Amino acid sequence: MRTDVTDKNSDTAKRIADELAACGVKLVASLPDNWVMDVINTIEQDKRFVHVPVNREESAIGLCSGAYMGALGSAALMGASGFMTVVYAITKINYTYEIPLFLMATLRGAVGDHHKHHVSNGLYLLPVLDAINMPYKIIDKPDDIGLISRCYKHTRTYARPMAVLFTRDLLRGAH
Amino acid sequence: MKYLDCFRALARQRTDEIVVASAGNSCQAWWAATRDSVGSFYLDASMSLSSMFASGLALARPELKFWAFMGDGAFAMNPGMLMVERQMNLPNLTHFLVSNRVYGATSNAGLPNFKDNDYAAIARGMGLERVFAFSDVAALNRDFPAVKSANAPGHAFVVLEVEQYSDDEQKMEQPPFDGPELKFRFGRHVESRAGCDVFGYRIE
Repeated sequence: MRTDVTDKNSDTAKRIADELAACGVKLVASLPDNWVMDVINTIEQDKRFVHVPVNREESAIGLCSGAYMGALGSAALMGASGFMTVVYAITKINYTYEIPLFLMATLRGAVGDHHKHHVSNGLYLLPVLDAINMPYKIIDKPDDIGLISRCYKHTRTYARPMAVLFTRDLLRGAH
Repeated sequence: MKYLDCFRALARQRTDEIVVASAGNSCQAWWAATRDSVGSFYLDASMSLSSMFASGLALARPELKFWAFMGDGAFAMNPGMLMVERQMNLPNLTHFLVSNRVYGATSNAGLPNFKDNDYAAIARGMGLERVFAFSDVAALNRDFPAVKSANAPGHAFVVLEVEQYSDDEQKMEQPPFDGPELKFRFGRHVESRAGCDVFGYRIE
């Protein structure tokens, strides 16, 4: 059964990678979260991308913002906890200068996450996004992975940041 | 060396490099030295992200050269950036660490451990190989051209030991741009230099 779960996760990761490539993303800057490890490993091995593991989530915001100014498509990938550390960088760079940023994060602390240390993310992640007027879409099933392209393109139109949030059910399967 | 003298010396040596300056003093000094409003991005108060921003640019546009300025106050907030820079090792990026041993943008407030911080040693400790340090203008004039023109692999990290701003220097003009204006000025410059399309907008 474990093999089946891994295959399913890998298929989801591959579909996410394909969707990123389809909308022109070349650079992916990431910090890990257990839920996105299949996505990170898939991107790391995919020649369509330059994958840059960064030291902290703010660095991903800086890298992706600079890449935009050089006409290179990019995405920042991180856990919910990491996102909670980047509010200043996003408001300073992406709102002040109106620089698009496409961000992918985990929807930690929601139903299905059995880790108590993510309760704070369950309580505050979405309210923080709302507080800085940062639009987001929740991707809960493989059929919704196409939202990645729609949201990525919206960042270019909107000239500001937007996030997609991956659920546990999407990345690891329901339990 | 005097902060402004250092920046004026670098401005004289600049040829076609595109610049990212960081909060407060380095933005003020680069603006005073160059009045550049197209080929320089004044990344105000990013709290350590100027070299990451420049790394994204340098990765995107390998045909162009980039200089990133950062104060040691910003560096203290995120020294792990050097791990990322070393890993990316972009030969078209020079990271200038402007060491005035204070948080210059906030009225020269005290910087932790300012007496003992050895930024060049920190960089070498993270595996950087092209690490240089200058503490007077004469040395900068004499030796920086070789650093700049070296056809060497990997990015360069240059420590500039400068004096902190005087009270009068703190009052120098900040680059007078709102964010979106600067974005478009700079982005159009990158587009013209690289023949790329930063701001393409198409209804499909």
